[in-house]
Amino acid sequence: MVHFTAEEKAAITSLWGKVNVEEAGGEALGRLLVVYPWTQRFFDNFGNLSSTSAIMGNPKVKAHGKKVLTSFGDAIKNMDNLKGAFAKLSELHCDKLHVDPENFRLLGNVLVCVLAHHFGHEFNPQVQAAFQKVVAGVANALAHKYH
Amino acid sequence: MLSAQERAHVAQVWDLIAGHEAAFGAELLLRLFTVYPSTKIYFKHLGVCPDEAQLLTHGQRVLQAVGVAVQHTDHLRAALSPLADLHAQVLRVDPANFPLLIQCFHVMLASHLQGEFTVQMQAAWDKFLTEVAMVLTEKYR
Repeated sequence: MVHFTAEEKAAITSLWGKVNVEEAGGEALGRLLVVYPWTQRFFDNFGNLSSTSAIMGNPKVKAHGKKVLTSFGDAIKNMDNLKGAFAKLSELHCDKLHVDPENFRLLGNVLVCVLAHHFGHEFNPQVQAAFQKVVAGVANALAHKYH
Repeated sequence: MLSAQERAHVAQVWDLIAGHEAAFGAELLLRLFTVYPSTKIYFKHLGVCPDEAQLLTHGQRVLQAVGVAVQHTDHLRAALSPLADLHAQVLRVDPANFPLLIQCFHVMLASHLQGEFTVQMQAAWDKFLTEVAMVLTEKYR
């Protein structure tokens, strides 16, 4: 089980409070689909994903990104019990969505890049470390119920 | 294999780094050691707590090598052959560590360059660094 120190929790919660979940969500999902194009395999019904600008401007990408990041916000509120918090979503991703858990790690890494992008120098090595820990925890939690 | 457009993006990224290899290299290593402490085992010669001078020196070395790779995207194997030998015979860095370094590279560029580090640049840079990592670990066995 992942354990977060008080400092890590404080750094994470404080930064997350300043995140525009809608914008960051769309940005993160868009970047995932651009930088790792094979991830587009899960989004055949999203319409035009034929170019970088098409992907970044795609309304379904933005909407889904917002959904994903809103859910991620729940992780921030449940850092001490990520596996419990994501149990149902884990089952969903395995049984219905059939998503390779490697994608959770990729999206987590892209999200960290988006945060670095937004927060600039504030996103120092310690803050990055705390967030990499949280995204790794979420990825593991989402993979936990796979069978 | 990088397309012409990807090579152009890689060159764009390098333009933003060139001249600052030491500073970027030092921060890259600092992020790597902070976020992924297990990677420090490959840098024991820098001591338990590498100081700024050591990070700058070694960081510069790493980024200068990246610069060489940027100049030779068409023939990475030839250009990086001595480094590939070094990694295979001496350093033997487990290949799983290169994605960790690459992630720290992206985060560092994103935090410094913000808007200047576009999605296309990140995509090309990721592909390029992944190729470099492949070349560096190709002679392992």
